[in-house]
Amino acid sequence: MTASDLLLQQLINGLSLGAMYALLALGFTLVYGILELINFSHFNVFMIGSFVGLYILQAFGLSGQAVILTGLPLAIALLTAFVGTMLVSGGLGVVIERVCLRPLRTVKGPAAMITTIGVSYILFNVVLLTIGADSKNFPNPLPDVQFHFGSAVLRLREILIWIIATLLMIGLYLFVQKSRMGKAMRATAQDPEAARMMGVEVDQVIIMAFFLGSALAGAGGLIFGLYYNFTSFIIGFNAGLRAFTAAVLGGIGSIPGAMAGGIIIGLIEAMGGQVVSVAWTDVIIFSLLVLVLVFRPAGLFGRLAPTKS
Amino acid sequence: MIITRRFAGQLLAGVAVTATLGRFDLALAAEKAVTVALDLSLTGADAEGAKRVEYGALLAFDEANAAGGAGGYKINVVPMDDGSATAGQYDPAQAATNARKMASDKSVVAALGPQMSGAGKAMSPILSMADLATITPSSTNPDITDPKFAAQYRPAGKAVYFRTVTTDAYQGPNMANYFADVLKTKSIFVLDDSGAYGVGLADAFQGQAEKKGIKVLGRDRLDPKAADYSAILTKVKSLNPDGLYYGGVLQAGVKLLKQAYDILPATMVKGGGDGLYGPEILTAVGFPAAEGWYCSNASPHSMVDPKSQDFIKRYTAKFNVQPDDYAITAYVGAQVIVDAIKRVAATGKPVTRSAVRDAIQGTKLDSLIGSVEFDANGDLVSKVVSIFQVKKDVAFPLEDMSAQLKYIGIAPAT
Repeated sequence: MTASDLLLQQLINGLSLGAMYALLALGFTLVYGILELINFSHFNVFMIGSFVGLYILQAFGLSGQAVILTGLPLAIALLTAFVGTMLVSGGLGVVIERVCLRPLRTVKGPAAMITTIGVSYILFNVVLLTIGADSKNFPNPLPDVQFHFGSAVLRLREILIWIIATLLMIGLYLFVQKSRMGKAMRATAQDPEAARMMGVEVDQVIIMAFFLGSALAGAGGLIFGLYYNFTSFIIGFNAGLRAFTAAVLGGIGSIPGAMAGGIIIGLIEAMGGQVVSVAWTDVIIFSLLVLVLVFRPAGLFGRLAPTKS
Repeated sequence: MIITRRFAGQLLAGVAVTATLGRFDLALAAEKAVTVALDLSLTGADAEGAKRVEYGALLAFDEANAAGGAGGYKINVVPMDDGSATAGQYDPAQAATNARKMASDKSVVAALGPQMSGAGKAMSPILSMADLATITPSSTNPDITDPKFAAQYRPAGKAVYFRTVTTDAYQGPNMANYFADVLKTKSIFVLDDSGAYGVGLADAFQGQAEKKGIKVLGRDRLDPKAADYSAILTKVKSLNPDGLYYGGVLQAGVKLLKQAYDILPATMVKGGGDGLYGPEILTAVGFPAAEGWYCSNASPHSMVDPKSQDFIKRYTAKFNVQPDDYAITAYVGAQVIVDAIKRVAATGKPVTRSAVRDAIQGTKLDSLIGSVEFDANGDLVSKVVSIFQVKKDVAFPLEDMSAQLKYIGIAPAT
């Protein structure tokens, strides 16, 4: 393997990883942007998304590594899995907001954040105790199509992940920038009081932010399963922590920042493993985070909001 | 709390019940009973294997109780779990807590476990101070019983950590011999999973591989909680060694095997230790990713031994699941404990944990894994490492370990 092939291969690895982190980071950023709340339950909404996706694919008869569907039926199965997973995990996010967080909205201090940690542990343990601790084999329904560039290999599933992640991110961007609800979200993020006075239904905006963020996390969970072909009750913590780091690195509250942060972390993880050693990956990632925050406390794309109190 | 009249009444009733129960306990104690504690990793990535080990031990204790107990003593089993949800696998902190629980309960005369070396390292010093012997059916890290580290792992001096398996001081090197002598591997990349077991096994393998003239092209450490190993596997691919060796358990193993299948060439020889020898190599990894991987066991492959067949029948009938080799070493471990209690009882002395420890040290038992005797450190005198390879056999269910993990033979000793 030549050095340039190697670089290309690690670039492919890093971009796939980064796409997943970016989807997850968007959920942190959406909620933070509006409520200034770090929502740790997001970690395990992602994990539950991967299980929901697993069960939907199994309902289509997809299990193990055999390719049994092709063409249109496969596309329908995948589309159903994505839509179903996003609806269920989005719904879960809304329930979490309604049941656990809304009653605390007027409470100052870290109560709401601690509650999200609690919810995260509840979800984690419920899955552990009902579904079990062993890793589950996730179906790999995609035909084994490969493209070779020198000795670097690009697989269909990597391309698919990039396409899905890009579509979801563009969709979110357009929604937030162009739609009426998106405008209301941006207004609430800037100044909730003024937005309320202008007739924005702040409760609905918050529900929307939780729904969208959690739906993206669910999609991220399904992508995780399709990419790594396994899922387990524990996957949320590591991916969640990296994604959270990505959101902070990009500037928490900023949507382009979350996307860029995810990709950057994914690339560092791949390149760091190649150049230094995977044992040092965390040291490299978090040193970079500290370094960026020292010089740009608001993150790469974030702005410190002077108007907000 | 406000004590109302009604509450006071309930309280009194409660006290009365407790008092009756207390007398009931005394009545039972007259029937002579001892307690054996189990410590296994029932939560987390190794749960399936842990269940099989637990069943093996329970079968031996149940059979002993059904036959009138060990020398007249009924054996009560207290199972403990050293796995924790936050670790996702064995948790040394939980193992230490369990060891303290065992040590403080005076009725506990012996223990069986732990399954994992990382847990064993945390438990051994505590058990040593309590003079409480444990028999591990599967933990293979050599440091725990190595006299060099006696101050650390058995501060009270006497051996308390007995094994019905051999150690990684044999498992790693013997596998390296197999790679060098039989598979003719010339160069290798070594990975571990950052755990006590995995690092030790990979070190032992690497040391012997170098002695055998295998060129070690690199060594790296996986984070068992990370999901993505494509970066390191791409690096391995670029170095193009003849072989890859992984020291570690299944939490990282499942992901490693899946991703190695996608990234590494099929011609590369891939192997690991007994950490890979578990049901999840077929259920969670499955075919085609697991195909061709070698793994080892630090015990004889007793499952194919004709004298094990009756055990397998009894085990399967009772628990409705197939045993594996470490279910057999657990069964034998439990038999060793029963045998030791019997011998102490026969002398007419009280069955204390110190007496049971001494009796275990002097064990001479003919068992399903052959003759069981321990050296002064608690290690099994016989040292057998078996090698397996995952080979798909469509005539059998794809999750049947005894059919899909083909027994290759005994690894060459150094």
